[in-house]
Amino acid sequence: MDFDFSSLFAFILFGLTIGVVYGIVALGISLIYSGLDIVHFAHGEIYMFGAFFGLVFSEQVGVPYPLALLSAMICAGVLGIVIERVFYRRLTRAGGGYTVAGMGMIICGFGMSVVLQNIAFLIWGADAEPFHVDLGEPYQFGDISLPKSYALTAVMALFLMAALHFFLVRTKLGLAVRAVAHNKDIAFLMGINVPLMISLIFGLACALAAAAGTLIGPMQSVQVEMGYLMLMKAFAAAVVGGFGSLPGAIVGGLLVGIFENLGAAYISPSHKDIYAFLLLILVLMIKPSGLFGVEARVKA
Amino acid sequence: MTVATAIVRPFTQAVGKLSAVHRLAPWLLVYLLLLPLPYVLSGLFNDYYVYLANRICIFILLTVGLNIVKGFCGQVTIGHVGLYAIGAVSSALVSLHLGAPFWVSFPIGVLVAGVAGIIVGLPSVRLEGAYLALATLGLGESVRIMIAVTPLFGSSTGLIGIPTPEIGGFVFDSFERYYYLLITATMIGIYLSFSILRSATGRAFMAIREDTIAASVHGINVPQYKLLAFVISALYAGAAGALFAHMPPGYIHHNNFTIIEMVTLLLMVVLGGIGHIWGGVIGAIIVTIIYDQTLEFYFYQPLLFGLSMVILVMFMPRGIGGVIDRYFVTRRFIGAREGKTDGAP
Repeated sequence: MDFDFSSLFAFILFGLTIGVVYGIVALGISLIYSGLDIVHFAHGEIYMFGAFFGLVFSEQVGVPYPLALLSAMICAGVLGIVIERVFYRRLTRAGGGYTVAGMGMIICGFGMSVVLQNIAFLIWGADAEPFHVDLGEPYQFGDISLPKSYALTAVMALFLMAALHFFLVRTKLGLAVRAVAHNKDIAFLMGINVPLMISLIFGLACALAAAAGTLIGPMQSVQVEMGYLMLMKAFAAAVVGGFGSLPGAIVGGLLVGIFENLGAAYISPSHKDIYAFLLLILVLMIKPSGLFGVEARVKA
Repeated sequence: MTVATAIVRPFTQAVGKLSAVHRLAPWLLVYLLLLPLPYVLSGLFNDYYVYLANRICIFILLTVGLNIVKGFCGQVTIGHVGLYAIGAVSSALVSLHLGAPFWVSFPIGVLVAGVAGIIVGLPSVRLEGAYLALATLGLGESVRIMIAVTPLFGSSTGLIGIPTPEIGGFVFDSFERYYYLLITATMIGIYLSFSILRSATGRAFMAIREDTIAASVHGINVPQYKLLAFVISALYAGAAGALFAHMPPGYIHHNNFTIIEMVTLLLMVVLGGIGHIWGGVIGAIIVTIIYDQTLEFYFYQPLLFGLSMVILVMFMPRGIGGVIDRYFVTRRFIGAREGKTDGAP
């Protein structure tokens, strides 16, 4: 059997598009981590809620797809802010990081993810819901056909990253967010409303997750259990790129996507979901700081 | 508080007197008291409650093991169910395919889980907190997916007909009989956990939990002790898994090792109070019973468990163990003020 370069190219292309989605979710996780020093374990469920919001807006309300995407992002952002205000505030105020409160935050996020998944199950049921978006004929590259939803995903993802980068680097609000991420006490002394910025970080991260959910909807179907695997893969992406580094999250997402698709194609498709974990564990063991990360904080 | 004192004081005094005879005496007494439990349960209710008692025993073993790495050593691990699964599957495979009796397959299952514990623990040498949680969660979930997709490990059908153990003609083939095995293992497990806590090793674990740098300055080999904590807890998990696999229906399926089991396990530890052995035991008992009694509300269970976990972490971070500790510490201070030192152990 001779080696088929065009199918290899196709695998890499599909890996890239799915990787971009991983990258967006990883971006949110990284944002929360760099801002609050906590890892949000319920992020996969926010992503799942975002996908369902997108589905509801586009199928039941009947708005066009881009508008549904925007609405889903806003809804999930509000959901994230509410969750943070009601549940996490007590813990984030105690200080995140690697203290006992950090462990509490991990357990709390874990519990919250189960709660959110159960709520979604009670509302929408366990069936996988197809997400119909008619975008027209797929693009043709030689003998590979790329559905337009994939192309749209890549473009949207790049746009979102650029927008986030612009927000963080060029606007005054973004400067405030970065100040809070750097040092909350000093930011507070500089007259920045720290609790508001923390809510903003959470809202932004959740909106990104919702965008990823709505973008991936037309490629796969939307179902209640989609969040958990996505969380793991986004974690893998965030870790591979370097936890807390925003460009790293994207690069990590692309790497995880390609790695996973190539593994599924050339090793064994039924083990597809393990490759991301393997990459995660490999990177954690060899270079915990990831590709772009600052030094992983390991005491002693 | 006075009512509680009236109830607890004779009990603690009795335990104190018994311990004076021999330190194992209270343990033996409790063990002998718990032995006829299945007859009481099946007499009062029915066999199902004996099965429930068996489940509680398995979960107590798991919780006690998890408490060693999480409570004593302060390492956040979420992949514990993976080790439980490894213990169950390896013991089942050895007895199914090699025809080995339980007394051979059980130690093999425990050992394999221990080796897996080294692998799960290796990231802890370099990682902390959230990173470690991620790595262990990834490993635990990989184990479940491996079991779910590999036919040898009983992919979608599960492993059927795992033989039940026997000793000299006495076959542990019903829930009542299997209970003897489980209660023995559980009592030994709890006792060993206390011995570890009181030994130099346990103190090293706690030193690492409180301050890693200070511990290393005091000459504690931090990576070695972290790994040791992981291995010990993996041995517990492997024992629980192997005991679960050989329990009379002799059937395991990868659905026994899902994230929901992990959530229940975490809830037990959190409810009991992280790092409190008796709290963990009480947590395991309470959660297993609640889990069982709410089976008819199956669809709302994750909501209940997850929410109670969140609320516990928010409002009662030290769990039941915190309440127990506070009671005894208060008693001790009152005793000291009155110029006598009874009551508190």
